[in-house]
Amino acid sequence: MRNPYGWAALTVFSLGFFLFIYAPLFVIIGYSFNSNPVNMMIWEHFTFDWYTGLFGLSDRETGVGNRAAYVESTDQMLAALRTSLTVAVFTTTISTVIGTATAIALARFKFRLRGFYNGFLMLPMMMPDIVLGIGLLIFFVTVGMNLSMLTIIIGHCTFLTSYVFIIVQARIAGLDPALEEASADLGASEWVTLRKVLLPQLAPGIMGGALLAFVISMDDLVITYFVSGTGDTTLPIFIFGMIRRGVKPEINAIATLIILASVVIAALGLWLRSRKTD
Amino acid sequence: MALRRQSVVLGVLLAPVTLFLGIFFLLPLCIIAVFSFLTPGLYGGVEWTFYHWNYGRIFGWADGFIEIFEPVYLQILWRSLSFAALTVILTLILCYPVAFWVSRLSDRWRLVFLFLITLPFFSSLIVRLYAWLLILKPTGLLNTVLLNIGLISEPLEILYTPAAVVLGMVYVMVPFMFLPLYASVDTLDRAQIEASLDLGANRVQTFLKVVLPQTLPGIIGGAVIVFIPSVGNFVVPDVLGGAKGLMIGNLVEQQFLSSRNWPFGSALSMIIMAVVLTVLMVSVRRAKKVGGHA
Repeated sequence: MRNPYGWAALTVFSLGFFLFIYAPLFVIIGYSFNSNPVNMMIWEHFTFDWYTGLFGLSDRETGVGNRAAYVESTDQMLAALRTSLTVAVFTTTISTVIGTATAIALARFKFRLRGFYNGFLMLPMMMPDIVLGIGLLIFFVTVGMNLSMLTIIIGHCTFLTSYVFIIVQARIAGLDPALEEASADLGASEWVTLRKVLLPQLAPGIMGGALLAFVISMDDLVITYFVSGTGDTTLPIFIFGMIRRGVKPEINAIATLIILASVVIAALGLWLRSRKTD
Repeated sequence: MALRRQSVVLGVLLAPVTLFLGIFFLLPLCIIAVFSFLTPGLYGGVEWTFYHWNYGRIFGWADGFIEIFEPVYLQILWRSLSFAALTVILTLILCYPVAFWVSRLSDRWRLVFLFLITLPFFSSLIVRLYAWLLILKPTGLLNTVLLNIGLISEPLEILYTPAAVVLGMVYVMVPFMFLPLYASVDTLDRAQIEASLDLGANRVQTFLKVVLPQTLPGIIGGAVIVFIPSVGNFVVPDVLGGAKGLMIGNLVEQQFLSSRNWPFGSALSMIIMAVVLTVLMVSVRRAKKVGGHA
């Protein structure tokens, strides 16, 4: 920049931009330690009550209402967390296998429908999730499938396969095919070349894709909203329900824990990526 | 022989995706299309007879007897389109200068800020929206601060207005605009900018003739990635918008979960799909054109 004032203005604007992104998160974290149960905007004093309350350890009353009006229990929240984790594990496994297989097929084989598949795999990512959600809902009801954890897993896999595909495909594009050609020339079959030569080189890309799939599956709200039955609630749906019923201090505590977890996961992702470039 | 074995391997690799997406992606979309032309059942569900009034209710050829044309649907569609467009414009204005700033930082700081912009991708959407609920509500942070410093005497009504919805969408979509934009700003040819300035073009001319054309692919990419999830969004208006912030996504949700009029909900979804496919096709064509000129 030739103009120092211009650069200073740009710096101020940019720092303001990052403040805009992060300040709201710090608001939640701050209020999660405020003991005022009626108006959380007015600071009373520091407390861990909302956290201990989350795990059923505190018997402090929440809000102005009576205890009976407070429908969310610790058990429900932990069950929702368990459902989210189970769904995310299965979704990650299935979408990683399918997405990786597709990426290899499109990168290493020449066939007529290749262009079609490349375009087709973009569609689930671009389709608004509400359309996909209600499409799956009508489909499951029409074929008589009960809404359950299985339907949530299927719903997540439909779009996460594409995410894994894109990440693995980017990794393959950066590989030297000479290694695989050498393997084939030396008499290895396609399967052996795939397993022993291609897959090890792809491992960081596959890990990255799997991590992304896991994170998005844990966070998905809209598709889960339509394809989950009454029995299986995921964590985002649970929080969505809580928020719809009104703001309570416990939500701040859950939200803070989720923010913490996402920072850890993002750092893990960064670490994986930096290892890849070594 | 080798060729045959190759096609077996290819078949094994492609079969899962073909089956899975065929059954659980293409088929549901086709079912939406079919349902949008069926008669709504009296108690939810459908009757398998052809019916075009689902679209008539939206676009105005309903007979006013069996089905009633309600201009409110077109209004909500228009509102969704304009909210999404506004979100694109605002995220672009916010991200463009910042992308420049980040690209000019030293390696170390650049990595720090790029990490900070990708972090929201990993954090929960519902938690980030909830933060704005805390800030905007009548007894929320913003009103408390403004009242205390005496800027206002009555709490502002921001929550449950269209402004809150657009603000929420901008907040959620900002990282999606930033990354494609940054990718194109980062590869800008600095020598060309210097040359343009040296040859006597002023800053505005240089921006319009050198910088803008080079970053256009990033702008289009970001605009598409932000517009598409915004137009069918139902979570942001659900949490932050009131009746005046209702968008077409909320309308679809109502048809499926409370009104139980699935054919009408399907017709509304078809409109969302049509909008999305149009945007995608126009942007692909546009991208080809830009690529052709370069």
